[in-house]
Amino acid sequence: MSLPCGTRNYNYAQDMAIFRTRTHWVLLIGFLAVLFTVPPLVFNHLWLNTVNSIGITLIAALGLNILVGYCGQLSIGHAGFIAVGAYTSAILTNRFDMPFLVGLISAGLVAGVVGIIFGLPSVRVKGFYLAITTIAAQFIIIWVINHWGLTGGFEGISVPYASIGGLVFDSDVKQFYLVMVIVALAVFFAKNLTRTKVGRAFIAIRDNDLAAEVMGINVNYYKLLAFFIGCFFAGIAGALLAHTTYTLTAEQFSFTDSILYIGMIIIGGLGTTIGPILGVVFIKITQKVLLPIYLVPFLERTFTNFPAGFATGVAPMVFGLIIVLFLILEPRGLAHRWNLFKAAYRLWPFSY
Amino acid sequence: MKNKTLLIINTIVCLALLTFMVPFLSGCGPAEHPGLTLKVGIMTPTTGPAAEKGVPLRDANLDCIQYINDELGGVNGYKIEAINLDSRYNADQAVTNINQFMDEGCLFFTTSSSAEMSYVQEIANRLGFPGLVAYSSPNNYHPPQHVYGQMPDYGDDWTAFTKYYLENIWQGTGKPKMALMVLNNSTGAGAKNAARAMADTLGVEIIATEEHAATTLSETVALSRIMALNPDVIYISSTPKPAALIISEAKDLGMYPDVTIGVCHAAMTSKLVELGGADIVEGVYGVFPTISWNDDVPGVAKMKEYAAALHPSDVNNGDYIAAWAQSLIIAEILKKTLDAVGYDVLASGDATAWAAIEQYGFQGLDGYDVGGLQSAVKYVSGDNRLGKSLRINRVTNGVITAITDWVEAPLIRYEDYDWFGH
Repeated sequence: MSLPCGTRNYNYAQDMAIFRTRTHWVLLIGFLAVLFTVPPLVFNHLWLNTVNSIGITLIAALGLNILVGYCGQLSIGHAGFIAVGAYTSAILTNRFDMPFLVGLISAGLVAGVVGIIFGLPSVRVKGFYLAITTIAAQFIIIWVINHWGLTGGFEGISVPYASIGGLVFDSDVKQFYLVMVIVALAVFFAKNLTRTKVGRAFIAIRDNDLAAEVMGINVNYYKLLAFFIGCFFAGIAGALLAHTTYTLTAEQFSFTDSILYIGMIIIGGLGTTIGPILGVVFIKITQKVLLPIYLVPFLERTFTNFPAGFATGVAPMVFGLIIVLFLILEPRGLAHRWNLFKAAYRLWPFSY
Repeated sequence: MKNKTLLIINTIVCLALLTFMVPFLSGCGPAEHPGLTLKVGIMTPTTGPAAEKGVPLRDANLDCIQYINDELGGVNGYKIEAINLDSRYNADQAVTNINQFMDEGCLFFTTSSSAEMSYVQEIANRLGFPGLVAYSSPNNYHPPQHVYGQMPDYGDDWTAFTKYYLENIWQGTGKPKMALMVLNNSTGAGAKNAARAMADTLGVEIIATEEHAATTLSETVALSRIMALNPDVIYISSTPKPAALIISEAKDLGMYPDVTIGVCHAAMTSKLVELGGADIVEGVYGVFPTISWNDDVPGVAKMKEYAAALHPSDVNNGDYIAAWAQSLIIAEILKKTLDAVGYDVLASGDATAWAAIEQYGFQGLDGYDVGGLQSAVKYVSGDNRLGKSLRINRVTNGVITAITDWVEAPLIRYEDYDWFGH
């Protein structure tokens, strides 16, 4: 009888695999089984809506993580690129009666192209200077949306249900499956991208673009490619957002949201695939459930002598405080905690 | 001694009579149904950029429902269960809220603002979940579906103010030149749409339309552009904070009070005076669809009593009146439906209940007098505005004072214009 005493790889395929052991596969299949069966059976509207929102935000955050976390191109206009995707799909499906899938793919492509346009300054500038140009993208995009007839302006535009063939995604449960399938594909793509030539070029540019250029990497090409991929993800997320909220107004894509997206990937852990997942889940559940559903009623019940509106006013401050504390206490993000946990799990019951 | 004995006998007789009558007196009121409630979703922007309006609106909604439950015994004996959620004036949160309302079996829902309703009206209309919006915009119910306006909308505001201006203030020849300063959402769009539809008919020239955000910190540049065009009147369709800022900056630039300024009902509250300063906003005109705080109407006493007792900071605030009236209308809608179909149909809180609420509650309103707090509410086919009258007010000695009687706002069929919604 042979006893396991470590994981050995006997060929390159095994060495390169993401899931290398039977335990990995069992955990993956178990996780996917739970993910695709439990929420629709157990969750109510609020939680399903929150899960769908997490999924959509995650797709956008994965894109931003490729752009910022892997390629090092700071973008503070991500909500604007999401808006481009959302309105592209809304216009195509509402005004031109195009099928949802055409709207979805076009949303990604158009957002990607717009991303390249606003990413062009990255060829010449970087860091905070690039951040300023992406802020400009945010404001220019929102201005165009508010003033272009096709978008419905301030009054917004209604968006039909997503549908593929005869299947209409007209309920939270159906939308959950649609969102989760795309999330799974996005995570798979993002994870693998970093293991390819493109991903390694992104990382090289992030670490030192001069050194990357000396090594023969076409820095300008890869920077713009990062903008395209990052914004493609944003566009797909925007299209899903449009087809799950049914109405779009430019107010849904605020500058604050753009900053929050940066916050999500930092809290999760920059430059990792698990980071955006953890960051988005943490921020969204805190923002949509823990504070409004639990903290605010608790404060209202506890501090009855305080003026009206006190509790709801405190909630955003608590939210800000949580983020600040997180950045102070765990600047490497939740992904780092996750890695520590995995290391401890592998070594258990030994300390080293 | 004799009088004292008589007094004691009288007291005993009265007490005995009272004791004897209690069961009969209690039988005269609506029968109580403990544990059975009528759930209504109430969405208010309690935090976020419109919190200065959201807090008094939320307070009044809930105070009035407390009054209905505690003092009136609920609606036909059933207590109203208000599920109040903060929208943060944010689309994502508003969508979550409406889903929660449906999930918890609410019979219908309300929003305070046109913006909140704009975020969720598509969901409401597709699912047939009826909604009532206090401060509405034409896009909320044109074409009419399942969303109803408590009062005339921001388009009606513009029309009423412009008519008043032309008839009572404008003394020049030809068309007066008007500049619009509008919030970049449905609040501003309401005035823009009305101006586009009615400016020529009324005889006013729109020389500029400047947009601003609810969080704006300065509109000096926009005002300078407007000043260069030499306007006769500026109309602001916005919330109190930006409106107060614009008026203040107009004064700094020397435009006001030479140029007449009018504001929509979202801005025309005591918060405008508080935020802008009484001396700054003195003389500003505005439209409001409810009474003023000091008007003497039947419904005002109880409202003042509750505001003073529970939320003294809301006293004198027009938003409190609007939301108090909204809760009274909520009760009337529930009463009409209960009278027509009974509790069993409503108990499920599903699509059947929503349809009954809409058919018998909303569309059954036939001139309900909201204690005189606003114009009587009545449903007319094709017009989802339930209240149809408003008044022109003016800030006089730091107090918002009505200067006209109720003015009926005619229906503008926006959906007939090709440009509407595009």
